[in-house]
Amino acid sequence: MALTWPGAGAMMPAHSIARYSVKYVRELLKGNTDSLLLSLISEKPMYGYQIIKELEKRSQGYFRFREGTLYPALHRLERQGYLSSRWERLPGGQERRYYQLTEKGSRNLARMTQEWQGFATAVNLVLRPVPAS
Amino acid sequence: MSAELKLYLRNLAARLRLEPSSEREIVRELTTHLEDRAQELCQEGATPEEAARLAFSAMGPPHLLAKQFYEAYSQGSWRWAFLAALPHSVFALFFALHLWRNLGWLMLFFVAILGMAFYGWRHGKPAWLFPWLGYLLLLVLGVGLFLLSLPLWAQVVILAYIPLAWWLLSTVAVQAVKRDWLYGSMVLLPFPVILGWVLALRFQGRWAEFVRQGHNADPWIALSFLTLAVAAATFIRLRQRLFKTGALLTPELLILILVTLSTQGLVGYTGFILLTLLALGLLLSPALLERRIGHGEGKPPEQANALSSHSH
Repeated sequence: MALTWPGAGAMMPAHSIARYSVKYVRELLKGNTDSLLLSLISEKPMYGYQIIKELEKRSQGYFRFREGTLYPALHRLERQGYLSSRWERLPGGQERRYYQLTEKGSRNLARMTQEWQGFATAVNLVLRPVPAS
Repeated sequence: MSAELKLYLRNLAARLRLEPSSEREIVRELTTHLEDRAQELCQEGATPEEAARLAFSAMGPPHLLAKQFYEAYSQGSWRWAFLAALPHSVFALFFALHLWRNLGWLMLFFVAILGMAFYGWRHGKPAWLFPWLGYLLLLVLGVGLFLLSLPLWAQVVILAYIPLAWWLLSTVAVQAVKRDWLYGSMVLLPFPVILGWVLALRFQGRWAEFVRQGHNADPWIALSFLTLAVAAATFIRLRQRLFKTGALLTPELLILILVTLSTQGLVGYTGFILLTLLALGLLLSPALLERRIGHGEGKPPEQANALSSHSH
């Protein structure tokens, strides 16, 4: 069975569309990993598992971070000075590594957010042009 | 924690190749994550074994995870790059300015090497330390050769010196390789270059002249060490392991081509190939050593992998 790919006019089988979508979303996510993480952590200090759950909940299941991607990204952001971390003991006795935004991270997040808003507006303008009157 | 999770984490630790303190932090953090995830899966109805397997499957294969962590940590600062390039640059400067026969300057350089090596060794063995250790070993070798050149009665000193030199050499080699075999190669980087130039000058019958009063090869030798300086700095700044390996091996090959060309045909293709094989063998020998002694405090990766595979 073949379906049309919206907007492109090309014929593509359904499984190809699904594969393309997964790849496209993965690429989008890869490009925005840092801003999503910094944005979440800017609200309150969080630990890795909590970040995954929170991101999934907020995006209504759209974003599902692989654990193997999340932790190296958190460590990279910490080494770049955007995050700092500390170990805390939970009431149950378990220890968790909490990440929090630094001053530098905060400035970087503001810059990234501004860039993203400009980019998203431009993409929307191109994808949904104002109909000619 | 289940045995399977422990094996997964041990396998990961064996592949991380980072500073021991960073490795401990990573394993500690991932342990808490895997325990959380396994507990959640158990609450959803999975058996503890299934839960453990699902938890570490979601984390991905240990070698890929280790690669991502490596890339997150492997890029050193510009300051580190400068420090790593410094001993090669100073050595290059000695040849460029024909200062290498001046005992005063050489002594000053070797005192600096001892100081930097001691400082770096006591402060967590950062990546910039390893080129300095290479020159420290060169100093040890030089002192040994000097002792051998003494009159026969004085050579008894060498009997005490050899065990000391061997202890220093093996300690540096084992400690460097336990961190990462690439650091072992970084230590050995100047040796093929020095060997190449010694052989080239001997082939030309100019060794005695070179030692006595210098030679027009000095600028080319300086260029060789400057190339090593660039290689060391590039190594520090790169993130990916494959590129780091290339940053160490490629300049070495270029220098050996330069050495061969300088002999104007006296070292032919066969000589060049033998020299290259010798250099590659020397620079890659730490990788073989790593396979024998393992990384950090864990087992060699293939052993940890075998344990992990066995548990499935």
